Amino acid sequence: MRHNNSLPRRINYRVNVIFTLVFLIAAAIFLLSAPEEFLPALLAGGEKAAALSLSLLASYCVWLGFFKVLEQSGLADKLARRLIRPLGKLFRSQDREALSAASQNMAANFLGLPGAPTPLGVKATQKFLAAQNGYGADMLFVLNATSLQLLPATVIALRAAAGSAAPADIFLPTLLATLFSSVLGAALVFLTRKKR
Amino acid sequence: MKYAALIIPALFLALFCFAIFKKIRLYDCFTEGVKEAVPLVLSLFPYLAAILMLSELFERSGLSAAITQALAPAFSALGIPPEISKLVLLKPFSGSGSTALLSEIFSAYGADSYIARCAAVAYGSSETVFYISAVYFAGSKKNLAKPVVIALISNFLSVILGCLLCKVL
Repeated sequence: MRHNNSLPRRINYRVNVIFTLVFLIAAAIFLLSAPEEFLPALLAGGEKAAALSLSLLASYCVWLGFFKVLEQSGLADKLARRLIRPLGKLFRSQDREALSAASQNMAANFLGLPGAPTPLGVKATQKFLAAQNGYGADMLFVLNATSLQLLPATVIALRAAAGSAAPADIFLPTLLATLFSSVLGAALVFLTRKKR
Repeated sequence: MKYAALIIPALFLALFCFAIFKKIRLYDCFTEGVKEAVPLVLSLFPYLAAILMLSELFERSGLSAAITQALAPAFSALGIPPEISKLVLLKPFSGSGSTALLSEIFSAYGADSYIARCAAVAYGSSETVFYISAVYFAGSKKNLAKPVVIALISNFLSVILGCLLCKVL
C-alpha cells in the first residue's frame, strides 16, 4: 500500500486541509453547544469503521475467492482479452494485470454484484498508482463513483417493499441518468488531464 | 425482482463448472484468493476509521444540516424537489443513511409519487463518493480533490437530468 511514499508530501496536502478544517469546525461547534456529545460521535465513527471493515472482509472473502478461480481457470484472461486494447486507451495503461482487474471491476459494477467491484477496483487502482498512472486511477475512480449499473436492484426492491405498482419503472430514467454521469465524469477526467 | 437474484448463484455455478472442466483444484484456488482479503482490509482500515469519524462529526455537529438548509433554495431552482435535496446531499457520505432516507421518502409520499420516483433515480444514479474515494485511494499520496470534485459534479448533474426524465418517462 505504501508504494507512493517517495512522492512529495504536498500532493496529499488538500486531503489534510479538508480533514483538519472540517474536524476543527465540528469540534468547535461541539465545544460551544454540546461538549459531552463529542466523544460519543468519534466513538460512533470508530464503531462504524469496525463494522464496515467486518462486512467488507466478509464480501472480500467471497469475491476474492471467486475472482481467484476466475483468474486461474483462464476465464478472466479470455474475457479481458478483447477489452485490453480499448481499456488500455481508456486508462492509459499497458499493465495487463491492472487492466484485467479494471475490466472485471466494471463488469461487476454493471451487473450490480454487491461488494464485488470494490476489491477489484482497489487492486487496479493500486497497480495504476504504483506505475505513477494517476490518470488511470482517477478514471477508474470516477467511473465507479458515478455508478454505472444496469439494474438498480436495491431501489427496485425497496420500491416493491413500499407497495409500488410498477417498481421497475424507474429503470430507464436511472439508466439514462447514470450513463450521463459516467460519460460526463470520464470526459471531465480526460479534459483535465495533465499533458504527457 | 426474481431474475436479479438468479444472477449470482448462476455465475458461481457456471464458473465452478468451467473450473472443474479446466481441472482446477477448487478448494486450493478459492482459499488462495481469500488469503488476500485480510491484508486488503487491514490496509484500508486506518483511512476508513478517520473518514467515518469525520463524517460522524460532520453529521452530529449539525454542520451537514446547516449546509443542506443553505443549499435547498438553489436546489429547487435547478428542478430538484426540496424533499429530496437532503438525499442528494447525504448520498456522497453515507450509503446506509441514504438507503434509510429513501425508504422514508417512499413511505411518506407513496412509492409511485413523482417525489418518490425522483428520489429513486437520484439514489440509483449516484454513489457514496467519499466512501469510495477513501477506499480506493487509501494510503496514497495522490491529490484526491480533482477526481472527487469531478464525481460530485457528474452525479449532481445526473440528478437534475433524472428529475427531468421522471417528468416525461
